[in-house]
Amino acid sequence: MRFTLFLAFTLALVGSITFFCTGAEAQDNPIKIGVMGPNTGSWASEGQDMLNVVVILADEINSAGGINGRKVEIVSADDGGDPKTAVLAAQQLYAEGVVAVVGTYGSNVTEATQDIYDEAGIVQVATGSTAIRLTEKGLTLFFRTCPRDDEQGRVLARYVKELGFKKVAVVHDNTSYSKGLADETRQLFADIGVTEVFYDAIIPGDRDFTATLTKIKAAEPDVIIFTGYYPEAALLLRQKKDMNWDVPMIGGDATNNLTLVQNAGEEAAAGYYFVSPPGPGDIKGEAAAKLLATYQQKHEVYPTSVWAILAGDAFGVIAEAIKNVGDNPEAIAQYLHNDLKDYNGLTGPISFNEKGDRIGEVYRLYQVDPTGAFVLK
Amino acid sequence: MDFFIQQLTNGLTVGGIYALIALGYTMVYGVMKLINFAHGELFTLGAYIGFTLLVTFNFTGLFGTVIGLGFSVILVSCLVAVAGHLLERVAYRPLRHSDRLAAVVSALGASIFLQNAIMLKWGAQRLAYKPNILPNVSVNIFGQPMPFIRILVFLVAVFVMFGLYIFINRTRTGMAIRAAAIDQGAAKLMGIDVSRVIALVFIIGPALGGLAGLMAGLLYGPINFNMGQIYGLKAFTAAIIGGIGNIQGAMVGGLLLGLLESMGAAYISVAWKDGITFMVLIVILVFRPTGLLPERVAEKL
Repeated sequence: MRFTLFLAFTLALVGSITFFCTGAEAQDNPIKIGVMGPNTGSWASEGQDMLNVVVILADEINSAGGINGRKVEIVSADDGGDPKTAVLAAQQLYAEGVVAVVGTYGSNVTEATQDIYDEAGIVQVATGSTAIRLTEKGLTLFFRTCPRDDEQGRVLARYVKELGFKKVAVVHDNTSYSKGLADETRQLFADIGVTEVFYDAIIPGDRDFTATLTKIKAAEPDVIIFTGYYPEAALLLRQKKDMNWDVPMIGGDATNNLTLVQNAGEEAAAGYYFVSPPGPGDIKGEAAAKLLATYQQKHEVYPTSVWAILAGDAFGVIAEAIKNVGDNPEAIAQYLHNDLKDYNGLTGPISFNEKGDRIGEVYRLYQVDPTGAFVLK
Repeated sequence: MDFFIQQLTNGLTVGGIYALIALGYTMVYGVMKLINFAHGELFTLGAYIGFTLLVTFNFTGLFGTVIGLGFSVILVSCLVAVAGHLLERVAYRPLRHSDRLAAVVSALGASIFLQNAIMLKWGAQRLAYKPNILPNVSVNIFGQPMPFIRILVFLVAVFVMFGLYIFINRTRTGMAIRAAAIDQGAAKLMGIDVSRVIALVFIIGPALGGLAGLMAGLLYGPINFNMGQIYGLKAFTAAIIGGIGNIQGAMVGGLLLGLLESMGAAYISVAWKDGITFMVLIVILVFRPTGLLPERVAEKL
């Protein structure tokens, strides 16, 4: 306990000294921006991709002369995908004197560090943390470039409307993610003029859903909305096909996995819709294409998921704010909340609302084509 | 009415698979008074061997649908029977004269071993039988289109159960099994080789379990290394509902469990399906603690 206190005190002291220094000799020192990501642990590939993307973007800025003549220095801290390690990483970044932090991936990891950054007066832009409560705490220095969990429900409901479905069956699997998404979606049914003819949960791990499907069929829906994971989605699709019932099915991002097609068979999976953030290869736009090309040249592969690209966007908005209002964290936050409008990010236009959530949709609609590929609609 | 008939057939198919697995539990229990916890894993093994034969080696493509499938059924049954026999040799026979709890612990250990062995051999990811192994045709029953595979699964299950019933009740070997189930000591005095009877039980039970695994793969497609856990639990329940140690009981219990599940899902709630099923199980056990068809001391099997 003593030791921890001592450590915290020392870190705080070092931090404040560094802080004052940056204030005093502003023009000559580089601007320090932290990247907190899971460079080790279960999500190590996500963390390494995040860091790689940000480093590429920072190098680009530096080779073009930096932000307003000052170089950007990226300080990396490893959160290990673990809240306890993340606290140390946050203290380390504070000690390094960063003005803003990009990261991190997991919601619970981000949550462990939110208050630390807020008290230290550092802007934090999370990249993969979708839990709703993170932006409901009234923290003025916290932002995120990823969507919130309730966003997915809104997008799902919108696509159900756009595809012209009127009578829907909603099926979830009682996990908190799946039930949350189902409830988020169905509370919008009245607004989009859709009638719910069936609502129930299946049991994950079950194999025979024919009794359930027979029951759903009797309710005569235009579409089945399934908010669970891909193993059950594959079984539902396959058994639906065996029943010769060709009702369309639409799901959430937990079914964005190619095992779905392999398990259901191409024929049964064809036509299945799901909403998901776009994969790195599906992101349109020049900036993203350029980044991906550089990335591939440097690391020989593509980043595996969209979350790393969102880290690039987090870095982008921070750099944009510093360019316009300097490196005072309060000013950066002010700028991001109020003045940043439709910034041309890698994943599309970026603006933030008063809570620090990104305005605008990140989710896209995908459909499985007859060869089993996921096609962006 | 259409709805009811469809749910009835849904339930009977699921029940047929439960019944086939339940037979393995109940036969072993009848003779050895041992719950073979590794039985669910033998079911999984059957599903995976079937995958190797039908998908990796493409038996139906090589030999035609009927012969290829027949070949696979025989090979899967034989190979899983060999596995069952080895299981008995390694995990149960050395413990036959020790405490019964030791055998139960050994059974649990064998279950974990087999599950991990399957995972390491075939991988942790889900594999899937291809949908076009059997022609996707439907047959009309009471005006309801029924996929052919579902009818096949049910018919095979009934046929095998009927064959087993005849075997146990009408043949000399069957009589030896029944004798060993009633009293092993007396059976030995009558010149019955009880060790061989037990070995036989550990060949028939796993063969049926493996066959059930193959049929589950054909019926549903995706298989994974821990699928035997849920099926094992359900089939064990079926064996108990029917009266463990009783062969007809396992058949009745399996079909009843399947029907309860589909009717519970159809008329009450899908999410409560398992809750309803086990509720009924408790009620049955409260009023008939030994199951619907309890083993009679005179003829346990």
